Amino acid sequence: MNSLYFEIFIGILKIFSFVVPVLVSVALLVYLERKVLGAVQLRKGPNVVGPFGILQSFADVIKLITKENLLPSSSNKFLFIFAPMLTLILSLIAWAVIPISSTYVISNINIGILYLFAVSSFGVYGVILAGWASNSKYPFLGALRSAAQMISYEVSIGFVIITVLICVGSLNLIDIVESQKNLWFAIPLLPMFVVFIISVLAETNRLPFDLPEDEATLVAGFFTEYSSISFGLFFLAEYANMILMSSLTVILFLGGWYPPLDIFPLNAIPGIIWFAVKVFLILFVFLWVRATFPRYRYDQLMRLGWKIFLPLTLIWVVITSSFLFYFGMLPN
Amino acid sequence: MFLLGTFYLFASFLIMTCLSVIFSKNPVNSVLFLVIAFLNSTFLFILIGAEFVGIILAIVYIGAVAILFLFVVMMLDIQITSLMYNIKRYVPLAILFSGIILAEIIYLTVYKTSKSHSNIIVRSENNTEQIGNVLYTNYFIDFQLSGIVLLLAMIGAIVLTHIYRPTIKRQNINKQNTTYSKDRVKLVKAKSGEGININD
Repeated sequence: MNSLYFEIFIGILKIFSFVVPVLVSVALLVYLERKVLGAVQLRKGPNVVGPFGILQSFADVIKLITKENLLPSSSNKFLFIFAPMLTLILSLIAWAVIPISSTYVISNINIGILYLFAVSSFGVYGVILAGWASNSKYPFLGALRSAAQMISYEVSIGFVIITVLICVGSLNLIDIVESQKNLWFAIPLLPMFVVFIISVLAETNRLPFDLPEDEATLVAGFFTEYSSISFGLFFLAEYANMILMSSLTVILFLGGWYPPLDIFPLNAIPGIIWFAVKVFLILFVFLWVRATFPRYRYDQLMRLGWKIFLPLTLIWVVITSSFLFYFGMLPN
Repeated sequence: MFLLGTFYLFASFLIMTCLSVIFSKNPVNSVLFLVIAFLNSTFLFILIGAEFVGIILAIVYIGAVAILFLFVVMMLDIQITSLMYNIKRYVPLAILFSGIILAEIIYLTVYKTSKSHSNIIVRSENNTEQIGNVLYTNYFIDFQLSGIVLLLAMIGAIVLTHIYRPTIKRQNINKQNTTYSKDRVKLVKAKSGEGININD
């Protein structure tokens, strides 16, 4: 019995060793976003709290926690409070299967990629429930938009994942990374890599696809009625999701913890640092896109998802599998 | 013992949430209980070691089907009391369907033992691979047929909703992209004190 308690204790320690760095990097990502946006727009960005303003997001968190939490009088109270919690929980439980190096992972399951896909497709519930429970027009419109948007882009994400899986022959995330030891999938599957990054922008509701919280038309979209810490939870979940999806991109296309070339000065650096550097680059692309592109119109968004990405990814699945089959390069 | 305990926990949750789907007065709550019921059946599948089936159930039913249910139900403006009193109308239909399902279960358990698939090569404990092996060899025709049925359903849905009506304004993306500013905007020099005549 003692060994069982010990294992549970180790498990909890492992979970904390993932969750705490994720939450700290969320705070730093918010700071990075404001700095990058500032640099693009020739401003300074936050520079008052702490050295170079690096403690700005921690100050914001303290401000959010100490504000009053308002509940709209005609809202569905339980779902109104539950929705932001669900969003944050879903963005954190997905980290259970993300391998940061070949040995460092909480749970190495056979169907890791399907688990991630399932958890990311549940993410829409938080948004829909928040919009419906607020009992107000703008949040409801935001919820409907996000439901349609996330389901549309999940289809193309699914096909991109299938293309990668055909090349790997396994649903295990560690196997996916290890099959990229010599050649990252971003090179032979470059169009799929681009489609995946754009779909991830839509899936995490980031600009230029942030129609569910479009402040130009919907005030703040699905979290219009939220205040204080319940707004903070949505905010935290959005950035945790960004980091999660960036690590998924790194695992699927950029070779996880492997260096770009297997030569001396590069392979002496530990894998975790390579992983972090790649995630940072993808996150920087997210912020760069936000600073550069104007927001899409909703019909343009739907057209891109269904009429361009869906046929393109479908054809690429067929091309990849035919190519691998013809040249006898199928795994197993 | 531990496994049996977890089974009874999830199974009793499953039955409780299924009953709540039927008896809750607000249709949105019904759909949410349905989601919890799907989640519990996913747990049951994972408990017997069929993790692929379990996760696929979660992706398809929770990630897509239940969201569309929620989508439809949220937009209805239903009087909650009016839903309850005509529940007796559906009793014969319910008995019919549950009778069919009960007969199927009895037929499967009593008269038919499960097929043995001698051609499966068990290379690993990975049940994704085993399902793929069976699906694309023993049940290949059935698999393709179910795909064709789904394709027909999809085409049917598109035909039903995509009706051409001349009164509807549609956006022609090519036309929008090939428009130049000189087609739409005209620069006019207004004389001081006279202004311009719009009808020019």
